[in-house]
Amino acid sequence: MTTATVSRWDRFRESFFWYSFKRDKVAILSSLVLLLMVLAAIFAPWLAPTDPYDLAQINIMDSELPPVGLDGADAAFPLGTDAQGRDLLSTILYGTRVSLLIGFGAVLLQGALGILFGLLAGYLGGKVDAVLMRIADVQLSFSTLMVAIIVGAVFKASFGNLMFGEIAIYMLIFIIGVAEWPQIARTVRASVLAEKKKEYVDAAKVMGFGTGRIMFRHILPNTLSPIFVIATVQIANAIISEAALSFLGLGMPETQPSLGSLIKSGFDYIQSGSWWITLIPGLVLVVLVLVINLLGDWLRDVMNPRLYKG
Amino acid sequence: MKKLLTAFVGSLALITAPLAVSAEATKELKMAYDADPVTLDIHEQLSGGTLQLSHMAFDPLLRWTKDLDFEPRLAKSWERIDDNTMRFTLRKGVKFHTGNELTSKDVKFTFDRLKKSQDFKAIFKPISELKVIDDYTFDLITSEPYPLLLNTATYIFPLDSKFYSGKTEDGKDKSAITKHGNSFASQHLSGTGPYTVVERQQGVRMVFKRFKDYWDTDSPGNVDKIVLTPIKENNTRVSALLSGGVDFIAPVPPTDLDRIKRDPDTNLVTMSGTRIILLTMNEERVEAFKNPKVRQAIAYAVNQEGIAAKIMKGFATPAAQLSPKGYQGHNDSLKPRYDVAKAKELMKEAGYEDGFTITMMAPNNRYVNDDKIAQAVAAMLARINIKVDLKTLPKAQYWPEYDDRAADIMMIGWHADTEDSANFYEFLTMCPNKETGAGQYNAGNYCNPEIDAMVEKANVETDLDKRAALLQEVEKRLYDDAAFIPLHWQDLAWAAKKDVHIEPVLNVMNFPYLGDLVVE
Repeated sequence: MTTATVSRWDRFRESFFWYSFKRDKVAILSSLVLLLMVLAAIFAPWLAPTDPYDLAQINIMDSELPPVGLDGADAAFPLGTDAQGRDLLSTILYGTRVSLLIGFGAVLLQGALGILFGLLAGYLGGKVDAVLMRIADVQLSFSTLMVAIIVGAVFKASFGNLMFGEIAIYMLIFIIGVAEWPQIARTVRASVLAEKKKEYVDAAKVMGFGTGRIMFRHILPNTLSPIFVIATVQIANAIISEAALSFLGLGMPETQPSLGSLIKSGFDYIQSGSWWITLIPGLVLVVLVLVINLLGDWLRDVMNPRLYKG
Repeated sequence: MKKLLTAFVGSLALITAPLAVSAEATKELKMAYDADPVTLDIHEQLSGGTLQLSHMAFDPLLRWTKDLDFEPRLAKSWERIDDNTMRFTLRKGVKFHTGNELTSKDVKFTFDRLKKSQDFKAIFKPISELKVIDDYTFDLITSEPYPLLLNTATYIFPLDSKFYSGKTEDGKDKSAITKHGNSFASQHLSGTGPYTVVERQQGVRMVFKRFKDYWDTDSPGNVDKIVLTPIKENNTRVSALLSGGVDFIAPVPPTDLDRIKRDPDTNLVTMSGTRIILLTMNEERVEAFKNPKVRQAIAYAVNQEGIAAKIMKGFATPAAQLSPKGYQGHNDSLKPRYDVAKAKELMKEAGYEDGFTITMMAPNNRYVNDDKIAQAVAAMLARINIKVDLKTLPKAQYWPEYDDRAADIMMIGWHADTEDSANFYEFLTMCPNKETGAGQYNAGNYCNPEIDAMVEKANVETDLDKRAALLQEVEKRLYDDAAFIPLHWQDLAWAAKKDVHIEPVLNVMNFPYLGDLVVE
């Protein structure tokens, strides 16, 4: 068992993947920053000085305190407070957690749907392909945000706000996941079309394997690299979508702020002195999305066989 | 010589100024409010927005001046005939937008319609009858001597009776008042006012054009066209003014007062207001609210001073009662009572130590920072274990919900229509009664017949000292009973470009008399 792990680790260390990672400073830095943010988000309940979701801990008298270093700052609130008196540092930690959860969650859902439908469409072809791809076309013709806004508004109206607050995260994962699956499905389908004519697929067929096994065990692993690349970009997209929805008031409720709703809540104050309420979470969001995108770029370069050989 | 000539021309200009100016209303005013009127029917809803529209498209019999005196408008004069009768004489030659001429018949039509309006009938309850004497004379008759008759008459904006009579194409009565419905009157209007509505897309834009046959030729107003754009976001509205996109905005958010003051091209006008912002606790929806201890606990949990200082930036006066200072009912001994420990104790005594969950609704573009106040209150209630499901919505959607009493705690702001304390109690704390219109905005369903009787008694009390004592007693008992949660009296602020002279047309009622607005 141990030897196997070691040898796998060795294999990884000798791979081109690791080699190019070590030589790419941008990739190292990005992944470091991302790792830091993910860790901070995971351990938010232990790191954050206060619990921003607990309304009872908020005191209106502490509202709009500036970050430490500015006039009138309070050391108890290192990054200042928002208009309701929430500690910004805690809120940003929790908000990043929500944003990341939605980003990864939505992409997992997109991935599951996209891979399944892409494989089916590409491998089975014919009517299945036509139907699935037309559904994808229809869905792509609506913008993600529009679909999300409609679905979100309907859910919000039918569940009531308190209920919506409790399920908002899952709702957003669902909305963004469902709205974006065609992106992945199309990529998968294109790769499958290229793969299915290859000899190893014919060989598998001749050996009498079932369709499901051929699709998932033989073809899927060979289409994974574009999926990884697109998934990384989609995580960033999902985070941005969530922020946009929250900014429009259809995302996370004000009582459980994500980065987007935090930016929105400070918007009224940005030109009236309390710029930190919008600016700091805004910066965090930009950095988060930027590092994910940079990693995605790097991943694309590494996994693109043409670039690799040339 | 040159000097003399200038002086001469100058004096000539001065003499002809009123005529020349009113004849050439050529200016265009672009203004932004936080919301546009929800209906064109001025009797559908008793609200600041409706009354602001009334002063643009209609004219009252008489109106308040800046110094709270009466100024004759459509009524040229009035005299008291006996204790219960006041005789009004109408101005002659006043035309409606349709070209019809104003007569006593139109005033009678308007009065009868007001008596039918769910929202307005309580105000007009003391006036029993409007008697037409001739085309230009009529009497307002009260059942008992009523000290606030003229105050009430400022709310009579004569409607064009010919225009509002008859049937629409699909057979509906044109004069019908339908709340939040598509009645004829909610989409068409004809008044005597300085402006006609030429275009209206609700929530997007409203265009007014000066009425060319406007009766008041002495009005200095020189604005020909007004474009009203609702801009809900505080920051966006202020930016629109500072960047020159609009010429006049209201309200100005407290956070941006300094920013506007610093701008050399804009003028800021502020006044301390008399509009009370309060929260109602619906006793019919929530069993716990029937317990005075729970209501008191909430009253102790809410930090009015914190809201006024932090959210309103000191641009509001924390309140513990309905009547602002200067009103007869204002009781100096009542103070905000923020005390969380005491609130918790009261909850414990009432048997709700573990709290409960309630719903709360507030508008997000009606009062200054209304949604932020609601959020802050939700956080304050969390401290006494009351969990709040808060929903904030634009006023066009909020008022229908309010009329349905759709949440356990609802926010409302009230400005006394008669500039008198009794108006607050009649609308906000009296036992709801569909017949008389009492308690029309009492979303708490608080009901105490004893207090109501005291208000009724005060209404016919002509001895001012006795009346004040009665009203202050009412205020004290409402406070002790925690009938509602008063938050603050909201201050008023408007801002405009320097060449738009808003100051003379503004007043503490927040009814800008835009007909008289002068733009350089």
